[in-house]
Amino acid sequence: MRRVRILAQCRKELLQFRRDRLTLGLAFLLPLLTLLIFGFAIRLETKVIPIVVQDFDRSPLSAAYTDRLFATDQFRPAPWRGGGDPVAGAIDPGLARAAVIIPSEFSRRLKAGQPVEVQVLVDGTDANNARVIRNSIQGITAFFGADKELIREPPPVRALTRLWFNPGRKESLYIVPGVYAVVLWIFPSLLAAIAMVKEKDKGTILQVYASGISAAELLLGKALAFLLVGASVAVVVMGLGGQIFQLSVVADPTPLLVGTTLYLAAAVLFGLLLGVRSANQNAAVQGVSLVGFLSALLLSGFIYPLSNIPPPLSLVSALIPARYFIVISRDAFVRGTGWAGVWLDVLMILVLGALLYGATLRSLGSLQLGDGGEGGP
Amino acid sequence: MRALRHWWRRLSASRLWALLRKEVEQILRDRQLIKLLIIPPTLQLLIYGFALNPEVHNLRLGVVDYAQVAASRELVSALTANRIFLAASYPSSERELARQVERGELTAGLVIPPNFNRRLAAGDSAEVQVFIDGVDANSAGIASGYIQQILRRFRPQTGAPPPTSPLRTQVSFLYNPGLTSSWFFVPGVIGLVLTLIATLVSAVTLVREKDTGTLEQLLMTPAAAWEILLAKILPLVVLLMGDVLLALLLGRLVFAVPIRGNLLLLLALSGLYLFVGIGVGIMLATVCRSQQQVMLTAFFITLPMVQTSGAIAPIESMPTFFQLLSLLNPLRHYIAILRGLMLKGVGLEALWPHALALLVMAPLLMAISVSRFRGQLS
Repeated sequence: MRRVRILAQCRKELLQFRRDRLTLGLAFLLPLLTLLIFGFAIRLETKVIPIVVQDFDRSPLSAAYTDRLFATDQFRPAPWRGGGDPVAGAIDPGLARAAVIIPSEFSRRLKAGQPVEVQVLVDGTDANNARVIRNSIQGITAFFGADKELIREPPPVRALTRLWFNPGRKESLYIVPGVYAVVLWIFPSLLAAIAMVKEKDKGTILQVYASGISAAELLLGKALAFLLVGASVAVVVMGLGGQIFQLSVVADPTPLLVGTTLYLAAAVLFGLLLGVRSANQNAAVQGVSLVGFLSALLLSGFIYPLSNIPPPLSLVSALIPARYFIVISRDAFVRGTGWAGVWLDVLMILVLGALLYGATLRSLGSLQLGDGGEGGP
Repeated sequence: MRALRHWWRRLSASRLWALLRKEVEQILRDRQLIKLLIIPPTLQLLIYGFALNPEVHNLRLGVVDYAQVAASRELVSALTANRIFLAASYPSSERELARQVERGELTAGLVIPPNFNRRLAAGDSAEVQVFIDGVDANSAGIASGYIQQILRRFRPQTGAPPPTSPLRTQVSFLYNPGLTSSWFFVPGVIGLVLTLIATLVSAVTLVREKDTGTLEQLLMTPAAAWEILLAKILPLVVLLMGDVLLALLLGRLVFAVPIRGNLLLLLALSGLYLFVGIGVGIMLATVCRSQQQVMLTAFFITLPMVQTSGAIAPIESMPTFFQLLSLLNPLRHYIAILRGLMLKGVGLEALWPHALALLVMAPLLMAISVSRFRGQLS
């Protein structure tokens, strides 16, 4: 293996990449667009949920209860006026997510110490938010009861809750470091796959083989080129992301640096592997977009906790580098424990990257030995 | 009967028919296209359906119990009773607990003070400290809500039932009483999958013809441009309807998602939505020169469409700007229709705004992209 050849291959690749204007533009524009859309539009926690309150009592006490429901920014009155059935009128068309029905005699019965049931109808379509709605209506009701001294005995144990790392519960702190992982996986691998398969499509790979460069030198040259491209994408994305979402490195930056480099290398190798293995560009791009996108987005713990992935899929998820990089990225930007917390994740990316290198080298080698048909134009 | 036969004879002799037959034969021979129509949608539906699960449960809880009395142990078991928390470790000190939370080994921590029992016995309210890892803001919020709820009901020395407040809430969940989360995601993913596949397939087939120059050959025949395009689009619609059925069937068989509304209405509106996807695809084909560019630009268009559609994250929780933007997104309306017809079992009386939006968008998009495409051909 000769370093000169690797560097020459790398230079050739970068020159070629620079000449393709459309791909060059997309290489930087697409990651940024993805970052902005994901960073701004993915919010899991629902605030200002529209609900309908039907008050059959119309007493000062029921009005106070209604006010208490709308006192926080959790709920807002749904744009629905009029009597009749709130389910058909407001929940069916999606104007409201829940209806709270205060019975007549609400005030009279409460003052007499008799039980009163407030009926709450929740739209269960979005199961997660349905639970949140139930919990907060129950919470507000209990608070109202305690406040109006309907309950004689306050609960004996109180919790002093503190949120660590993210006391303001800013969701961008959770989403944005995850977006880095998704973006830095998909786009470098996509570019590498396209470059690899283009060479096969146009038949230029035969010329490369004829030139006497070894499979390992070819692979390393190409990987190095796209690693450099990926690194500049990473700098742009993380730089702008930090500015826009106000995220900065809170810990020792070395795990992030080492982790990002290894992660990008794994992404590029993954792209090259798919490029070598697929018959044409279409298949390569589809492979990357389907396998890479789905796994980085869904099996990495980017949106919902990893522990929620059921068994057969959770085994697959252990093989996905994005999952380990998300831990590194969240640690560097939010948690801040440094090497002590993430050394295993860095190691896992290294191992997976080495496996990808081996697999790509083998596929490339078997191609070179004249596995005919597949490589031809 | 004779009129019908006459009509049939005229149709089968027509150019459009000949073109249609050519396209169908071409598609049937294209193994890759058939694979593309079956494998990615199935995989996507299955993985999305199984992997997207927002439930908060089995959060790893570390307990530092300085009191070590019956009441404190009761508190721990009350917190872990319904599997939202899992008592994962009992560190000896707060410092040890903090270290484990920092490393991500624990998601939550509970510190019970030494004077816990004394204060309870005196009838005062005892205070415990709860730490929650706030990195996942959504789960942290839900977890803290659960803790409050459990403590509100908690009474030590369970002989006495918790005092009942006269004010009670009776909560019922409409449409999805078991709160199965896949019921929310599957209709969204069906919309997502159909958008991706319709856009890709139509763009790829058109660009391929443009690329290889066979489209010019077709143009030299006496067939009109609209006949050529119609003959291309119709078989695609039929094939993609097959995908709609496949997706609905998977939803039904694998995830047991009900279809409570009118199935015919669902299929009709899905057909209408396919024209949106195909329209976007033809538009892409007018912009791109090679299949590779199609794939890259398809990302560019479908990604924002999917993200602002409410397929994964609910629309209500997006910033106002994105909520307004999503009104222009046909996928958002289609997903609302899917959820309405599958889960809620409502009809047009509730869904007409969304149906109307599709009815406006689909022909408009088709008209623009077809006229652009024809402009490029002549």
